[in-house]
Amino acid sequence: MKPENPFVAVLSLVVGLLFLSPVLYSIWMSFQTADDFYAGRVTFTLDNYQRAIGQFHFARYLINSVIVSGLVTVLGITVATLAAFAFARFSFRGGDLMFGATVATLMIPSHISLIPNYLTLAKAGLLDSYAGLVLPAISNGFAAFFLRQYMRGIPKALDEAAYMDGATHLQVLWRIIVPLSRPAISSMALYIFIGEWNNYIWPLVAVGKQDLYTLQIGLARLYRINPGEGLVDWPLVMAASTITILPVLLGFFLVERHLVRGITMGAVK
Amino acid sequence: MSGISLRNIRKAYPNGPQVLHSVSMDIQPGEFVVIVGPSGCGKSTLLRLIAGLDRCEEGEIEIGGRIANNLPPQDRDIAMIFQSYALYPHMTVRENIAFGLELRGMPKAERNHRAEDVARMLQLEPYLDRKPGALSGGQRQRVAMGRAMARNASIFLMDEPLSNLDNALRITMRTEIKELHRQLGATMIYVTHDQTEALSLADRIAVMKDGHLLQFDRPAEIYDRPSNRFVAGFLGSPPINFVDAVKLPGLQGMQGLTAGLRPEILSVHEGKPGEPALPARIVLSEMTGSDMLLHCDTPAGRLTAAAPRRSVSAGLYDLWISYDPDRALFFDSQTGARVEPTHHA
Ligand SMILES: Nc1ncnc2c1ncn2[C@@H]1O[C@H](COP(=O)(O)OP(=O)(O)OP(=O)(O)O)[C@@H](O)[C@H]1O
Ligand SMILES: [Mg+2]
Repeated sequence: MKPENPFVAVLSLVVGLLFLSPVLYSIWMSFQTADDFYAGRVTFTLDNYQRAIGQFHFARYLINSVIVSGLVTVLGITVATLAAFAFARFSFRGGDLMFGATVATLMIPSHISLIPNYLTLAKAGLLDSYAGLVLPAISNGFAAFFLRQYMRGIPKALDEAAYMDGATHLQVLWRIIVPLSRPAISSMALYIFIGEWNNYIWPLVAVGKQDLYTLQIGLARLYRINPGEGLVDWPLVMAASTITILPVLLGFFLVERHLVRGITMGAVK
Repeated sequence: MSGISLRNIRKAYPNGPQVLHSVSMDIQPGEFVVIVGPSGCGKSTLLRLIAGLDRCEEGEIEIGGRIANNLPPQDRDIAMIFQSYALYPHMTVRENIAFGLELRGMPKAERNHRAEDVARMLQLEPYLDRKPGALSGGQRQRVAMGRAMARNASIFLMDEPLSNLDNALRITMRTEIKELHRQLGATMIYVTHDQTEALSLADRIAVMKDGHLLQFDRPAEIYDRPSNRFVAGFLGSPPINFVDAVKLPGLQGMQGLTAGLRPEILSVHEGKPGEPALPARIVLSEMTGSDMLLHCDTPAGRLTAAAPRRSVSAGLYDLWISYDPDRALFFDSQTGARVEPTHHA
């Protein structure tokens, strides 16, 4: 998309830079040594990255984050897709009520469920485990709602044609609905992944063992490394942050080309 | 090949009016049945019930001797061509045609081979690797047809499968369908608005109106002995003429009856003939090829007669129309039901 109007182009550029500026600033900062930064000198060093990666078990945290966010994304999308298919295509007893309840969860602040979730998992003995980190996050009301709306836009005649061709319900879902919902599923996968990647409160509450720390918790701990009395080593923190956002960017670029609509063209006359 | 029995099928869509009123039909195994009727009379609905895509509130559907009311569509061994085509937009033409075979576990090489055979028959070969979005309406329709034809189903349901094709292609396809029916011996139910298709393809024709099945019979029976005025008017092109029977010469005394005179039973004369005839004045004449259609004003009302083109001299304006009383149809003017006349003049 190329804006025709030069004014629009300039405005877009300015707004874009405005949004990008904190990120650029923190990346720039991550290449300074702490001393130089506080002294106001400009230098260039990769030292912060080395220290960030070397601190504590940084690699471990990274792996944990990848595992947890990956699992939450895959399981969350699976659950949301199945729920959306059921809500979009079948009328069953209590279906409307269940869908209403699903939508209602969107209005509940996530912190309200923190304590009940904690108590439930404690009872189940799942605190301090990957399961404890992953399970509470795999039901995502928004994703189910969003996918259901999208699937309702797919002509039902396509399902019917597939049933006539001999498909089972799951085959219709997997061979017809999922491929046609790819743009929506990709967006939701990205949304769930980023949400989980940036999740701080729940891992903090659910995990005590260092071995299970995720990046966000590791990041928070970097604040405690003081270059001097009362100071935070901001360049170190920024280097770690930069490493932290890289996988998210990578995920976005992987998914971006799927975020296009218009694939149902030509299905029905 | 399976027979289909419908017994007192009633169907209403949720919060909608009644769409089918107690429809009963017995379709023999291997029979070719054509359903005709005005738009919205419930043809597609009837097909959907047979296919298992919708449920009926009342009545029984028997397929191959088995009550099928609660049988899911996958288990009915039915191939269907949807009025809306319903092609899979993310699959190529080849994959669309082969999908049903794939679901039934046919190996890839075999099913692709089969898809190519079908594509050849439907003149779709150049488009095998395209997706439906890049096809014209007629091409899409043929893909929809190919998808059904690839499968060796025992019942085929076709909802206006040729409506979007040009005339030449439609005639070719009609022959292909007839040939397919002969080869497979499958039971076929075919919905169309085209009279020629109905009369040429059908073993039996079902005429529907407003959710009622009016008549279900062999084409010649439907044409010669329509059960009521609607059926008589629906089939036949140019359409049958309806006139008040008492206004026809030689028919005085037939009170309360409407006569149905097909254009081909009328003969035109330049001078007054010996038999009873009506004076007529040509309002409009149409050339249809071998025949002329003459729309005339007569004392009995507007009549359309068909006459060989050669027999009508140019510039003819006033003429006489006689009819063959043995081939005239009579309907009760009140109920529309056909009645056998008790006496002729
Ligand atoms: N899903 C639906 N919900 C409510 N009413 C419906 C639905 N589908 C069809 N109808 C109604 O049922 C009646 C019969 O529809 P149907 O599609 O069977 O007609 P048809 O004979 O196939 O017409 P056409 O020749 O135009 O295809 C119509 O009056 C239509 O409005
Ligand atoms: Mg229809």
